[in-house]
Amino acid sequence: MLHCLNAPGNAAGNCTDMSVLERQRARTKWQEEQLIHQPPQPCYFEGNDQFNNGFSMLNQGQDFLNLMNSEMGHVVKVDPGLDNNGWQEFGQFGGEVLGLGSSGFVTGSGFELNYGISRTVSCPEDVAAAAAVEETAATETTQRESVSPEKMTSLVGRESFKKRKADKNQSLKAVAGEESREKRIKGCNEEDESKITEEYSNNSKNTTHNNNIKRETSADTSKDNSKVSEVQKPDYIHVRARRGQATDSHSLAERVRREKISERMKYLQDLVPGCNKITGKAGMLDEIINYVQSLQRQVEFLSMKLAAVNPSLDFNIDNFFAKEVFPGSTSNFPIGVQSEITNPAYLQFNPLQQLASCSGLEMGINNPDMALRRTISAPLSIPDTFLDSSCFDQIQTSSGWDGNLQNIYGMEFLQGRLTSFPGQQFTGSNEASNLKMEM
Amino acid sequence: MASHSISNPEANSNRLPDSKRSKKRRRIATENQAGQLHNSSTENQTRWKSTSEQQIYSSRLVEALRQSRRTSSAPATGNGVRKTAYRVLAAAAKGRTRWSRAILTNGLRLRQQHKKKKVKVTGGIRSRKPVVKKRLPVLQRKVKVLGRLVPGCRKLSFPNLLEEATDYIAALEMQVRAMAALAGLFTRAEAEEADTSDRLGSNLS
Repeated sequence: MLHCLNAPGNAAGNCTDMSVLERQRARTKWQEEQLIHQPPQPCYFEGNDQFNNGFSMLNQGQDFLNLMNSEMGHVVKVDPGLDNNGWQEFGQFGGEVLGLGSSGFVTGSGFELNYGISRTVSCPEDVAAAAAVEETAATETTQRESVSPEKMTSLVGRESFKKRKADKNQSLKAVAGEESREKRIKGCNEEDESKITEEYSNNSKNTTHNNNIKRETSADTSKDNSKVSEVQKPDYIHVRARRGQATDSHSLAERVRREKISERMKYLQDLVPGCNKITGKAGMLDEIINYVQSLQRQVEFLSMKLAAVNPSLDFNIDNFFAKEVFPGSTSNFPIGVQSEITNPAYLQFNPLQQLASCSGLEMGINNPDMALRRTISAPLSIPDTFLDSSCFDQIQTSSGWDGNLQNIYGMEFLQGRLTSFPGQQFTGSNEASNLKMEM
Repeated sequence: MASHSISNPEANSNRLPDSKRSKKRRRIATENQAGQLHNSSTENQTRWKSTSEQQIYSSRLVEALRQSRRTSSAPATGNGVRKTAYRVLAAAAKGRTRWSRAILTNGLRLRQQHKKKKVKVTGGIRSRKPVVKKRLPVLQRKVKVLGRLVPGCRKLSFPNLLEEATDYIAALEMQVRAMAALAGLFTRAEAEEADTSDRLGSNLS
């Protein structure tokens, strides 16, 4: 993670510069497109109180401009201080980026500002989509997610457009400044929407892009070289420093890393029971480790139990699937197997089962109880080819078994029906009917 | 085993496009996974929690058990059943997660590197002052432990490890539910069978 932030800047630079520039070119291109067809941005504003708050706060376009300027200055001079209070208040929002974007859109002063606003507006899409888990308003997210792919393209387009405009330092600042507080992953177009919308609600202001921009200003030749503006770009996570926080790349990267970790710890907290009260990574890790160990122990215990129960596996499974567990299981069984993309082995459903039944039959001969079950299951599912007459001879020689069998199947069974049964292939419906007949 | 070998190329094929893509562009692995995290975390709840997934898993587990019992006698032991259960679970994960791929490739390759234990050969100088073993920070130790627990995640970075652990825990929960249901049914059916056979026996006599 760290390298992703630092390496593009620090690594031997031409390729990175090229990539960054390419990215920016792409962004400017997309911004063109963005300009051409205005996306349905008003959809952002529906039903979000935070947006309204944002509106109220950033009604002054002047402040917004100041903010942009200050941020630009911040970008270039690495000045941690930001003058505008509006930004600070945004920092307190969960959906602050949304508010920013919406308010920016409302104020809409100036072309540059529009770009910045539109970009920020697009970003909230992604932020919202990414923060869908954390956001309470489900409606927002559904809206956002539906619009997110467009937004991403438009976002990147805008960025590239800005880049083209910004061959001078000021434009560069605008570009940097307009990358609002979010992490953006570039080159997302080829990815799925869900992958694209990796916007964290944790907003960091300073972008690594800023670092790249600084380098670009110094390397003019690389700018000229990067004419290619492809949509597919190497992916960078853009991070912006929050207000009042250190802005050097190391601390930024560290912050990104920490936020990632804390986000995943939150997911784990939801998953592991009893972790709500525990704060701190060490305690959480302890709980997680204990939980995983307990789950694995449970699996071991259950597997031993299943192994003990296994001899009756064949017969009972047929029973269960027909009767109790899965009401539609008889249809599910082949479907569940065949619908899976994966194992052809599992698709050999019928012959395997019949083979298994036959082998089970042979194995269970010695045990009267088992044999009883075998005889019940075997006729149902074993075709002629698998039927071993010796098995049935052994069964029939036992008087006790004969009696049981006769009681269960009726007199005809031992006499004539044996040959008819193996002809039946295993199907759910047959199974069910046969079982009903047995029981 | 047939299923094992068949499922493995699957996992491999799942992996290959990813590696190609990552080599082509300078993709940051973490960001990719981060992108997946939201999907996976939101999917996780639904994927491993859905009853249909559980039923599919149960049926496939039964099939695998029958198959394995046909080919060898190992699954009669608890360990065999356990391995089968894990393999079916990893197959159900469709190779998207690291632990599932590790499980699926486990049986094919001998894990020689894990058999080799790290043996510190401390020469013969025992008269030296007992050197205090350098203890890793507490968090690091726990991260290592967790890495050992989740298959195939020993040398994973912390955030990725957490992500893998999330998916692994969800999958384990589903596995426990499915196997408990299966085992419960078996014991219940056995009890029923025992009852019916007893009744029949008593009727005869």
